[in-house]
Amino acid sequence: MQDDYTSPWVIRFGWIYLLAIVAALMVPVFYNFYISFNEYGFGAANYKATFDWYITVFEDRLLVNAFVWTLGLAVMTVLIVIPMGLSAAKLFKQLTNKVWLVALMLLPLFVPADIFASALLVFFKNLNGMFTWLSEMTGLGFLSTWFELGVTTAVIGLVVYTLPYVFIVILITMGRYHPEQTEAARSCGATAWQAFWQVEFPQIRAGIFSACAFVVILTFNEYTRTSMLKGGFDTFTTVLVSQMLNTGMSEQSYAMGGIVSAVAIVIIGSIIIITLVQQEQMARRERAVAEPGSGQ
Amino acid sequence: MQARMAGAALYAAPVFLFLFFLIPSLLTIVWSFFSRTMFWMEPDFTLFAYVNFFTSARFENFLWSIAHSSISVAICFVLGFPIAVFVRRYVPQVAQHRVILLFILPFMVSEVIRTFMLRPVLGRNGLINTVLQDVGLTSEPITSLLFSPTGVIIGEVLSFLPFIVFAGFLAMEAVPKYIFEVCQDLGASRWRTFVDVILPLAAPGIFAGSVFILVNGLGVALIPSILGGPGAVNAGLIATQAIIALDFPLAMAISAIMIFTLLGLLWIGHRLFDLTRTLEPLS
Repeated sequence: MQDDYTSPWVIRFGWIYLLAIVAALMVPVFYNFYISFNEYGFGAANYKATFDWYITVFEDRLLVNAFVWTLGLAVMTVLIVIPMGLSAAKLFKQLTNKVWLVALMLLPLFVPADIFASALLVFFKNLNGMFTWLSEMTGLGFLSTWFELGVTTAVIGLVVYTLPYVFIVILITMGRYHPEQTEAARSCGATAWQAFWQVEFPQIRAGIFSACAFVVILTFNEYTRTSMLKGGFDTFTTVLVSQMLNTGMSEQSYAMGGIVSAVAIVIIGSIIIITLVQQEQMARRERAVAEPGSGQ
Repeated sequence: MQARMAGAALYAAPVFLFLFFLIPSLLTIVWSFFSRTMFWMEPDFTLFAYVNFFTSARFENFLWSIAHSSISVAICFVLGFPIAVFVRRYVPQVAQHRVILLFILPFMVSEVIRTFMLRPVLGRNGLINTVLQDVGLTSEPITSLLFSPTGVIIGEVLSFLPFIVFAGFLAMEAVPKYIFEVCQDLGASRWRTFVDVILPLAAPGIFAGSVFILVNGLGVALIPSILGGPGAVNAGLIATQAIIALDFPLAMAISAIMIFTLLGLLWIGHRLFDLTRTLEPLS
């Protein structure tokens, strides 16, 4: 995109600056990995590479339980939030007045975690009181536990947190889909479900899988909402934070930090690489159609 | 009937957010007027929680956290927005989204890890001080990097900078590329192009990104509690401390103040810049 006016040094400097900022943002993460592989831990004069601290994490029953709980929360959140995000994106395409929907879907992004978690905690405590009263009045005992702090409340908190991200990711992917294809499929006799599953879904699949990956990462990363709304169980991040706050950073804490970071980096890295490969393949196919015999 | 049910299913997400986001957020006002009991609160109409907040040291600390967050917004803008302009201006169209994807990576690594890991990076024996002393730039460790307002600002900038890049890039997508060439052909300097052309066109995205950073700087408790040292608080930390102390009306009063500050800022931004413009590239 260079023009006659621009010095190549401007562009080189721009790239150096951009990559330097990304590197600066990643310094704490890489430093965490560096310390977590040191047998002697943080601040030691010597460095000896080891995987031992990672092994101790997976030998600790409490941490493995917390890991399983976090994974369970992530799966439940994915199962709820993806259909919701998809339906909201479809609604966005249909509406003429989109402002209220956009405002409602994106506002949770702006409300800080601690503020919203406090509001939701008090909301659930009130709701729990109401349902307990209702169960006493009606004799339906199961109502009394519906909104007790636990898995349900934690998942609701996570759904509110992740829904805006899922909405945006799916919306971006759906932007490339032409709705005329659905109309064509319906005209050919396909049911609404067939038109979606066999025509639209294959084209937005990448966005939906990316959204699933984001939800898993965000659930593993999330601390405030989960810790306030989870009730009696622990997640990987709540154990990590409680260790860090109560006993300080131990070698095991660095290894746990390394695991959480690695989950995010591997998933996001894979998405970026798959996206790049798919885009390249698509570009090759388009070039082959546009320039037959060009050898592409 | 089936079509009607399918149509109704499209409203699942807005209904869910109405029930579990909007209603709890709005109810914070009602609960903030309740009076405190030993372990909970009871219906009342008292301003005690607000008086408690505005007449104590909490309010002064809150004002300080506004100052720190405003500095973070300015630093994020200065460091991050030029990246959005650079990508839009100089990176080929097909590669622009890929370049912006680079900023997803740090953003998606847990904020908890990134914030906690700033302790060994900024601390007395941390990475920064070790490097500065090893290359001979300082003879003694700089102690003001951690457990100080500087530490809080560094934490906020590292946590929220990707947002100004994303919001700035979305805003810059609304700026046609030929604008840069027109400005150059007309002899406008880089500064005048930036101030008179790019800034007004990208204002909705810049505003949305800035509000996000400001409000989260005020509301995310982890950063001041980990990096700020004794006395460093923000609204989020005051609210969580109030919850721990079982002072629910105070926590709700702070939540209500924060939520309505946010809504007020977004309303002003929408009136001034029409914030829906930032989402035009998505639709």
